[in-house]
Amino acid sequence: MNKTWIVAAETYLRQVKSWSFVMLVLSPFVLIAISLGVGYFSATSSVDQTKIAVISNQPALRKQFIKDNQDDVKTSVTTVSAAKKKVAKDNLAGYLVISSDATKVSGVYHANDSLSGGMRTKINTFLGKTQQQLNISNAKLSAGQLKSLNEPPAFKQQIKKKVSGASLAKMASFWILTFMIYMVLITYSSVTAQEIASEKGTKIMEIIFSSTKASKYFIGKIVGVLMVILTQIVVYLVGGYAFFELAMQLGKVKDFMTEYHSLVSAVVRNLVNVNLAFVLLGVIIYTIVSAFSGALVAKAEDAPKAAQPAIYLSMIAFFITIPFSNNADALLVKILSYVPFFSSYFMPLRVINSNASGLEIGVSLVILIASIAGLVIYISRIYEGLILQTDDTSFWKRLKRGLAYQK
Amino acid sequence: MLTLEHLHKQFGNLTALDDVSFKVPDGQITGLIGQNGSGKSTTFHSILNFLKYDGTIRWQGKPITESVFDEIGYLPEERSLMPKLTIEQQIVYLARLKDQPAKVIRPQIDNWLKKFAVKGKKTDRIKSLSKGNQQKVQLICTLIHRPKLVILDEPFSGLDPVNADLLKQAILETKAQGAAIIFSSHDMANVESLCDQLVMLRTGDVVLNGSITDVRNQFGRSELYVTTDWSEERLRQLPHVTDVNRLRGDRFLLRLDDEKAGPEIFQQLTNGQYIQEFSQQPPTLDEIFRMKAGIKQ
Repeated sequence: MNKTWIVAAETYLRQVKSWSFVMLVLSPFVLIAISLGVGYFSATSSVDQTKIAVISNQPALRKQFIKDNQDDVKTSVTTVSAAKKKVAKDNLAGYLVISSDATKVSGVYHANDSLSGGMRTKINTFLGKTQQQLNISNAKLSAGQLKSLNEPPAFKQQIKKKVSGASLAKMASFWILTFMIYMVLITYSSVTAQEIASEKGTKIMEIIFSSTKASKYFIGKIVGVLMVILTQIVVYLVGGYAFFELAMQLGKVKDFMTEYHSLVSAVVRNLVNVNLAFVLLGVIIYTIVSAFSGALVAKAEDAPKAAQPAIYLSMIAFFITIPFSNNADALLVKILSYVPFFSSYFMPLRVINSNASGLEIGVSLVILIASIAGLVIYISRIYEGLILQTDDTSFWKRLKRGLAYQK
Repeated sequence: MLTLEHLHKQFGNLTALDDVSFKVPDGQITGLIGQNGSGKSTTFHSILNFLKYDGTIRWQGKPITESVFDEIGYLPEERSLMPKLTIEQQIVYLARLKDQPAKVIRPQIDNWLKKFAVKGKKTDRIKSLSKGNQQKVQLICTLIHRPKLVILDEPFSGLDPVNADLLKQAILETKAQGAAIIFSSHDMANVESLCDQLVMLRTGDVVLNGSITDVRNQFGRSELYVTTDWSEERLRQLPHVTDVNRLRGDRFLLRLDDEKAGPEIFQQLTNGQYIQEFSQQPPTLDEIFRMKAGIKQ
């Protein structure tokens, strides 16, 4: 097997087998599962306590009430005595007795606590509607009278929408994309930098560099870390899909998805296009810089500090992006969409806002890929010098010496 | 054969190596000796291409590039392994980087652990091993792929006599397989017992280079070990004796200013009678080391 792959596989396996990685990957699922579980249990345990029973001497009335308010009625309770027992045990909020004669519909609510506003409105609406039907029937109106009586008032809404569906999708896509890049970079900048820095000046590196070229080793390390990132993304995609399918079993999520179907698919379209290439290449270029800054620490003990340059760079790019989320036409956005390290944030912003031509996107991609290739070639050459260097000099001296080291 | 010609290395104002030339023949052991800072590790780092240098280094007539990395076994001066790996993972990983398939290396690990008397199972993590056992695992990593060029930087440091003997055996076996071996050491007894030839560096210069016998004979047989009931004062009166040291009991070390005086001294000391010990020798490597390390050119 190629030595680059041996290094990549070793880096990958050591990382994914570590507890920190397992925790990192599983923690969002655990948190979601816990919150869903808590929500489910509190909902199922308290649901009966908020329901009411409906009892009536007229089955049609009871049936109609249940039909109108099915989520609020415990249908299994049909008698006053059963309802009284449940209310006493706190298994029922109360019970409504509906009765009706030839001219009057009445309802009496029995409970330990007064009705909530919402429930009171629902009961009033039902009783009002039923009474009205009784009144109309008692009035023996002609068809014309009935029609004019049923004439509804005219009510229209004229709203000047500021955020149309399309621009909402753009905003959502932008924030999801930006946060995704930012979170991946912040997490893996430290992982990469520490991975490299922990080997700084150690003699094991002398053994390794007597076995393979430093450039192959460096590329192997980067590939290993990228495989770890990819694993996490795949786990999130698969896990996310599984959770989505699970959530779709819940009626409310399904309703939401049906209602916002066009928005969701627009967001997905904005994410799964050329923007994904910018995200992946952005992760690669920042990973390379993290590895480089990891190689620049004075000694292995300084590994925790190693990620700082890459993290700061990523933070700067992230925070510059935010003010332009609504202003993709700005000149600065156009310029930065070609600058490596920034283009992974700014070009997707332009793509989402349909502000960049195919040529512009292509040029930006070519610049980004060329920069990655240039960085890999250059750092590979000086990597051996950087890693084997053990002088405890200043950062700038180490950088200068590292940059001057070429074989 | 490893050949170094006119090696020169400068660190700023410091000359680390100055016109260093020597050879390490196949199937032979070369000892590289010298005080701390004399340039031993710099020489090794130059051979391994860790440094830019002036001069020529060739292995079997060709420059040392990645294509010959798989033939090299290198043990650095300080020990360092990957603490989170198990013994087996560590050995297999480094062997695979030497282009050895895992399925070839894995079955050999138990034998090597036994050979070096490593206390621990191959499933133990490196960090759980004692320092001495970690050192032995590192030696296994250096030798398991049967290298043809073995470079050992201070391999005996930190080893007790029992483990030092195990290492000597392994080095001799590797030599018997035809490898060219070079190692640095401060322990002249190890150098003398193992090496076919030695190179001594002093502040970057080669001050000694040749077979152990030749190097010692260069200094003449100027030391005389005798066991006699003569007094120290009386021994001092013997011809060409410049110094007398009582070693233990009746055993003395006499230093001569002319090795040819041996027969005359023997005559006077024994007068034709039995003597328990009369041994005229060149200086030991230890003494030569001290002598050479002290002399300024």
